[in-house]
Parts: sequence; C-alpha cells; structure tokens
Amino acid sequence: MSEASEDLARRAERLLRWYPKDWRSRYGDEFTELLTAEICERPRSLRRSADVAWSGLTARLTNAGLTGHAIEPGDQVRASLASLGCALGVFLAFGIAIWSQLTIGWQWSEPDTSATYAAMILMSGMMLLFLILSVLSAIPIACCVVERIVRRRSQGLVRPSLLFVAGAAFLIIGSRHFGNGWPGTGGHAWAQQGLVPGGVAAFTWASTLSVTSYWAHPGALASFPTGELLWMALSPVAMVCLVVGAAKTVRRVDLPPRVLRYEACLARFATYGMIAFLAGSYVWVIAGDPGPKDLFHTGAIDIAGLVAMSAALAVAHRAVQRARHGGLALIQR
Amino acid sequence: MTLVARSAKAPEDDRSPSEPLGTFGRYAGPATLILSSLAEGAKHGYALTKDIEAFAGVRLAPGTLYEALSRLEGQGLIEALDSHDRRRPYQLTAVGAAALRAHLAAQRRVADLGLRRLARSWGTA
Repeated sequence: MSEASEDLARRAERLLRWYPKDWRSRYGDEFTELLTAEICERPRSLRRSADVAWSGLTARLTNAGLTGHAIEPGDQVRASLASLGCALGVFLAFGIAIWSQLTIGWQWSEPDTSATYAAMILMSGMMLLFLILSVLSAIPIACCVVERIVRRRSQGLVRPSLLFVAGAAFLIIGSRHFGNGWPGTGGHAWAQQGLVPGGVAAFTWASTLSVTSYWAHPGALASFPTGELLWMALSPVAMVCLVVGAAKTVRRVDLPPRVLRYEACLARFATYGMIAFLAGSYVWVIAGDPGPKDLFHTGAIDIAGLVAMSAALAVAHRAVQRARHGGLALIQR
Repeated sequence: MTLVARSAKAPEDDRSPSEPLGTFGRYAGPATLILSSLAEGAKHGYALTKDIEAFAGVRLAPGTLYEALSRLEGQGLIEALDSHDRRRPYQLTAVGAAALRAHLAAQRRVADLGLRRLARSWGTA
C-alpha cells in the first residue's frame, strides 16, 4: 500500500470513529470504502466531515434509544432505560452533593428562610422517592439476572453485573468509612438532630465528596489527608462503574415485555421526581439565604450542579418518552 | 389546507404503517432518492451517490447516505447483497418497491395539484 493510500485509509478510519461499535461492525468496511473514494475525489470538505460527525452522533443517540428512529420495541425500551439510568446517575451525583450539603447544615441549625426550608422538605421527599423507585426497579432485574446466571444463560451478564456490584460495594464501604469520620453524627449513625439522621447526612456527604470546587484550588486541596484525596479521586470511578454496570446489565438482560412496561412506568415517576428535586434546588439557589453561620450558602459548584442536573433531566425526559413509545409498541403486539 | 393541517398535527407514533417513509424525518428526501436509484438495479454506496447526483443534481454526503441506508434496511425496504469486496451492494425489496410506488404517487398528486393551481392563478409559462 502506498503512503498516499495509507493516509486516505487513516483519514477514513478517523471519521468512522464517530459511529458506535455496533454500527461500525455492520457498515464499517463499506462506509470506509465510500469515504476513501469521496476523499480521493474531494480531498478537503468541511461539509463531509460535519455530515459524518452529525450522522455518527445520531447513530450513537439511536443506539442509546434517544431518537425517533424505529428499532425493535424491546430493544428500544432497554436502550432508553439504560440511558435514563445514566442520566439519573449524573443527576443524583450532583443532586446528592447539594442535598447532603444542606442536610449537614441542618444538623447544626435550622434554615431561617421558608424558601430553604421548603426546598429541603421537597428535596428530601424526592430522595426518599428515588430510593423507593431504585429498590422497586432493581428487584425484577436482579431476579432476572440471577436466574439467567444460575441457568447458565447469562449472555454476557456476569461482567456488567460484577462491575455494578464492585462499584456499589466500593462506594458504600468508602462512604461509611469517611462518613463515620464526620463529627456531626455525635458518634451515633441515627442521631436525629436535623431533618434526617446524622448518619444518613454524613454517608451521602462522604459519597459525593468528589463533587467540590476544591478541584479548582489545588493549594487548599494539598492540605487534605492523603486517604481523603484518594477517596475523592477514586469514588467518581466507582460511580461510573456502578452506572455503566447497571446500564450494560439492563441492555443485555432479556426482560419479559411486562417487566419492561413496569420499568418504563417507574421511569416516568423517576422523571417526575427529578423535576420536583430540581425545582427544590432552584428555589434554594434563587430564593434561599446563606442562613445562620453561612450553613446554607450557595457556591459555584452548586450552580454547575444545577446546569448538569438540568441537562440530565432533558436526556431522562427524552429517554422516558422513547421507553414509553417502545412500551406501547410491546402492548400492541 | 385541511390535509396539511392534519398531517402537521399527527403525532409521531400514530403514523400509518402504509407510509413507511413517514418515520424517516429529515432522511425522507434522501431515502426517496436512494429507493428511486435502486429501482433501476442493485448499487453500492459510491454508485448510489454518483447516480443520484446525475439524475437529481444532489450529492448525498456519506453520513446522510448511510444513515438513510441503515433506516431503509431496518424497515426491510432494501436488502444488502453478498459481496466479494468491501463495497456491499443494496437492492430494493418487494416491500420497498411498493413503498416507493405509493410515496411517488402521493408526491405526484401534490405536484399535479400545485401545477393545476398555478396554471389557474398565474397562467401557463
């Protein structure tokens, strides 16, 4: 192969990377041939590059169950639920960071504005809703996964399930360890000094210790104990393992149609919860007050969190729409 | 007018299965061109681009071409043929031929109506 044709192939391969793996394995060869011929004919074309990038992203969104492109209804629901799980993961990472900051503040003193008070009640209620929905949605999926693994029909379920379990175990153990070190619990995990037990507040605070503006202040960060720094660096990796493991498991497990419809229904309630939680967060940021001893003050990281949560909600809403569409198609069968 | 208003309001999920190109959104145009090109016989990606450019004056960009091809294949309107090299040809299926015929007939009705109204109000050129 000459140097020129090698360069052509390299450029075509580079453009192909915009597409998801499944798409590349089906159309990759022929698409590379077409791209090579096109590049030969018109060496430079911004329109072609933009078109390939756009189509590649569309294919990725389709693969994630977020476009209107009709795919098999069962696949559509699974893909949409997996995308909802990822969006919910991002939402909760920032949401729990905001909520735990406020619950920690409330361990010391009640908020002195009705806005922060109402926001906290609403956000705490939604946290409880997320917990209930997570358990309700996990039970049938876990049963299905265990059954498949026991019957040796796991179809690639073992690795994502292990990834999920490892991520969850690391987060729980680490959060317990670092939460216990926080003095607000008074040595008792269920001591009720604020809106929620101190142990719960400390646990959630420790689980989202990495969501902090300290990353922008390396000098201050350097004064942290090494163990805490390690935890702040590794806990986001564990969160990613947990979310990716859950999403891959949902995509691969062959759930019966009625379970898929049930999950799609729970997903709708999850987005209602996200809307209410986000509304509470906005109320706190816009109408709240720093409160006694500055316990409820808002910072740049909270604003960034609201932006990320709003984007996650938009993705979740789209995913639930598509899951509902797939669910309806399953009923019509 | 009523027809236009009704179709504009039709929800995405209520599209009739007799209009398979109705679910293609912005890819309906490229899909029509591809089906029209394949009506002549099987072609691979580059040959499709060249043929469409020749008969319609439109050069489909590679991403758009393959997005439309994958949707057409997913709906069973075209099928891939075996190939000895990396260029895989596609051909129209019977369902695809029927869909193309119905789609072009609907377009012809709109074109005929538009031309008749133009002639009535603006005269013939």
